[in-house]
This record gives sequence, structure tokens and C-alpha cells, in this order.
Amino acid sequence: MKNALHKAIAILAVSALVISCSKDDNEVITGTGNLGIEFDNAFGTNDLILNTQANTTSNNEVLKISNIKYIISNIVLTKEDGTIFTYPKSESYFIIDEADPTSVVAELENVPAGNYTKVKFGIGVDQAQWELGATGQGDLATRAQAAGMLWSWSAGYKFVVFEGTFTSATVTDSTPFMVHTGQTATDYNYTEVTLDLPTKAMVRTTISPEIHVVSDVSKIIDGTYKIKLSDNNMGGMGAMIMGGTNLPLITANLNGMFTVAHVHND
Amino acid sequence: MKTKQLLLLILPLFVSCSNDSDDTYQNIPLEFKVPSNFPPPTYNFAANPLTEKGFELGKKLFYDGRLASDGIVSCGFCHEQANAFTHHGHTLSHGVGNGVGTRNTPSIQNLGYQTSFMYDGATTHLDLQPIIPFTNPVEMNGDFTKAITMMKADASYQKLFKIAFANGQINAENMLKALGQFMVSITSSNSRFDKYRRHETGGTLTETELKGFAVFNAKCTSCHATDLMTDNSFRNNGLAVNQAINDVGRYKVTLLAVDKYAFKVPSLRNIAKTAPYMHDGRFGTLEAVLNHYATGVENSATLDPLLKQNQKLGIALSETDKIQLIAFLETVTDTEYLTNKRFSEY
Repeated sequence: MKNALHKAIAILAVSALVISCSKDDNEVITGTGNLGIEFDNAFGTNDLILNTQANTTSNNEVLKISNIKYIISNIVLTKEDGTIFTYPKSESYFIIDEADPTSVVAELENVPAGNYTKVKFGIGVDQAQWELGATGQGDLATRAQAAGMLWSWSAGYKFVVFEGTFTSATVTDSTPFMVHTGQTATDYNYTEVTLDLPTKAMVRTTISPEIHVVSDVSKIIDGTYKIKLSDNNMGGMGAMIMGGTNLPLITANLNGMFTVAHVHND
Repeated sequence: MKTKQLLLLILPLFVSCSNDSDDTYQNIPLEFKVPSNFPPPTYNFAANPLTEKGFELGKKLFYDGRLASDGIVSCGFCHEQANAFTHHGHTLSHGVGNGVGTRNTPSIQNLGYQTSFMYDGATTHLDLQPIIPFTNPVEMNGDFTKAITMMKADASYQKLFKIAFANGQINAENMLKALGQFMVSITSSNSRFDKYRRHETGGTLTETELKGFAVFNAKCTSCHATDLMTDNSFRNNGLAVNQAINDVGRYKVTLLAVDKYAFKVPSLRNIAKTAPYMHDGRFGTLEAVLNHYATGVENSATLDPLLKQNQKLGIALSETDKIQLIAFLETVTDTEYLTNKRFSEY
């Protein structure tokens, strides 16, 4: 009887230990999981509606946007303890296209389980990649061409495509605009942004968090640097910004385009 | 009867054996030899190591018209080996659907020593260069998705990609790397001039040719430098602007005013085989080219300073200079390269 009681106490003690262990904050997190980064395009504080919605910039230019696409790359995640997980570079190229709902979430696989507090990513294709030529690009050229993001004339990529029509005080007829960024002879026009997550993204074998990023596309021309489409309306043919001194300014503007709205952990 | 049965039993063994070895990566390194009279190469061989099978795949791609939208216009369509991989007799070249481009087909030779490609230097990496003609609507008008689908359904491509690359994938990266391996391997280094420079047998130049070489050294090498005969720079050489095309050259890439009408200084190797000349193929003969430099150079804001020294336009060339220069330029014709079966379609 005494022995049986001891046994029962021992079993209770052990099971209590086991239970407390699994509920402990220092739980051992192992394995890998998936993580999605959703790019939700907006114009200012409004959701982005393609083609029909008029959007006004701080320069009082009114834009109707028909196309917004960009290449996301070099995704790096930082855990709460500061350790860094770099997503495999050749698998980190995602083409985000507002017109294609299946494209707006960058789905990352085999991410080490953990609590992530920061995400960093590039917009475009970096200089190191250019210098390697085709090496490491996988099927990027194929996907880019299909998405209209291959900058064929220079064997490169369009990093950002922002197109539509606009009117302003000086341009009263609806006039096309096309903003394309990419590598030029003078600038790489690649940039990276780092975003803090308001709540931890808890990657587990059973949890695939989704980081909801809002991309305010107005910032492309209406950010730190204000670029008036009306000033680039070459001979009335439309505002075509695909090179020159405006591209580095637009690239700098991209740093202020992205914010994290929230993180889903389910 | 017994023997036949035995054979039937043994035969499948052989077949399965050969299938296995056919479908696995074959890492047979291909040596890139730098001739002693050449400068060091610029190509990044570490990122795309040359192999015999990579070269073979690249050659197949180079000559495959199925990559183009019309199923006909391959790279080799405009780049003919017998003419140093230029389009003989064409000022401008034509591609799919009879589309006509704006520039003369450039030569393919010794590309591993160049720092940029295309007349305007639109790209700086040889592996990426094929994207330009492949996708250009008036050249091959190609589509990567369609080309990859075509190759994935083709037994010989299925095999070649597997034996050419460790990951065996049929994708744009491996397609471009194979083309890069083929193109970078196309070397021309055995002309009579090369043998003369390397003091090899057969390297004898006549008196006229040697005089031409002296004129060349005195008047041409500031741009056509080294034995590759280019300094890889971009210059406006004073051609009258062709109003019908108004090709602004390097300016298209840099949008810098100083680059307007500047074009890449071409290598002069095998020049006797690459007529017509200049970025738009306007000159039919080497005589016409030399006459341009002697008397035809037009002044403009971006004319290369070397072509307006001492208030004089162009390069002073006597009739004798011209004859000697042309005699010399014919010594850089490399028959071995022009006829090398390794580079040939058939």
C-alpha cells in the first residue's frame, strides 16, 4: 500500500514535470514550417483599385493605375533572439502583380520554426546576382517574361512596373504614364527594406504565419522625393520614366512604401 | 536458337546500362586556353564552369530555330560561322516575320575577353546577352515559357540538360549558361598575324603587311588595342547620322549626353570576312571604311577627341597607307576558326 502510494506520487510528480515542461516559455521549438508574406497594395490610406479608381497625389495629379508589379528578392528573417535566417537566394525571387491574385503572397517553405520579429527583403535583383550572370536565376527569366517584367533590351529585369493614366492642372487630357525601374548603366536601382513585425511571426511545424504587408504605391512618385508626371510628359506622348536621374529617386522612395499591418499566426 | 535466346536475355541489360550513363551528369571539364598574345579573360568561369556537355548543349541551342516564334530563326541564322559569325551581305539583319533590325550583326569570337556586349553595351554579362536577340520581336521573338515547354518535350534536350548540368533542370538559367559556354568557347587565335606575334611556324608577314602593321600601330591602336583589337570602349567615330534610324548608340543605355552616337569599338579580327561594316552596315568594303576615317569624319558635339586632333578631322591616311593597312588586316583572318567543325552547325 505504502509502495503503491509512493508509486502514485512518483507518477504524479513526473507527469507534472512533463506537463510543466511542455507549457514552459522555454519550450524547445524544432522542425520547419511555412511563412507567407502578403503584399497588399494600397494608394495612400485607400485600398488600390485598378483601372477605374481615381487617386490624387500631393502634387494634385490624378492617377488611374492599370498595372503595379514588382520583384521581391533576398528575403531575410530575424528571430527574437537575433538569429538570422536567409531564405535561399535563388528561391527568393517573387513577382508581385496586383492583377494576379495568386501572385501577391510570397510563400516561403522550410523556414526553421521560431518566433520572428523582423523581415528584410529586396526590391529588384541585386548587383551580386548581375555579376554572376545566369547563375542562380533558375526560372526567373521565364517567369519575368511571362509577367512582362523582363527588361529585354538590356537583358535585365524591370524591378518595378507602375503604369496607368493621369491628368493634372497642365495635362488635362487623360495621358498614359509608365514608370519602370531596373538596372541602368549608371545605377543598379536595387534597394532593400527592413520591417519590424508588430507581433511575432510564430513559425511552427503546425503554424504557418502570414505577414500582412501594406504597399503604398503612391510613394513610388510621391514619397521622400516628389516626381511630377506632368514634368515628364515627353511631347505629349505620355510620361515615360524608365531611366535617367529620376530612377535613383524612385528607388529611394521605395524604402517608404512598405509597412507591416499585422501578422496572422494560424 | 539458343544463342538468340541468350542475346534476348542479355540485350536489355546493355540497354539499361547505357540508359543509366546517358542520363546522368557528365562533368567533363573543357579547358579554356588563353593564347600567349591575348590579355587575361574577363569571363567568370567559376560561376559557369565549362564542360564538354554544356558546350554541346549550348551549340544545339545556338542552331535551334525552334526557339524562335516562327520555328526558323536560330542564333546561327544571322551569325554564320564562315563570316566570323556575322550575317553576310546584310547591312541590317532580318528576323522572324521579315522584321528588320536597326543594327548590323556583330561577330562572335573571343567574347570571354570583352566587358560588355551589343553595340551599345546594353548588357555586361555574356550569359545574359542571348536574352536580347531571343526576345527581340524583330529577331527571334522568343518566349521562355514556350521554349522551355518545347525542350521539356524533346528527348534529346531532356538528355542533354541532364548530362550538362548537375541539377539537370530544363530552365532558363541552364539554357543561358549552356549558350554562354558555347559562345565563350568560340576562340579565334590562329591567324597568320597571331602566329607572327607568337613567333610560330607560319607566322611570316610580307613587307607590305609589316608596313601595314606599322601604320596600324601608329594610327589605329588607340582604340583597336591589344591583339584582340579593341579597347572595349564606346566612341562616336564621326559617321553621318542615318536619319531613317537615328540610332543614338550608347546613349540609349546611359542617357548621358556625352554618349550620344557612341558605339562599341569592335574587334577587327577576321575583319576581311565580316563586311558590311559599321553598326548599321553602311560601308561595303574596307576601302570605304578607311576612306571614312581619312576624309569622311563628321564633326559633332560627341565626336571622339582622337578623331579631331590638331584642328583636323579624321585620321591622316595616304593611299599607300590604306593599301598597306588592308593587306595587314587580311592577316588577321583565321581560317581554323572560320572552318572549325566544333563550332559548325553540321
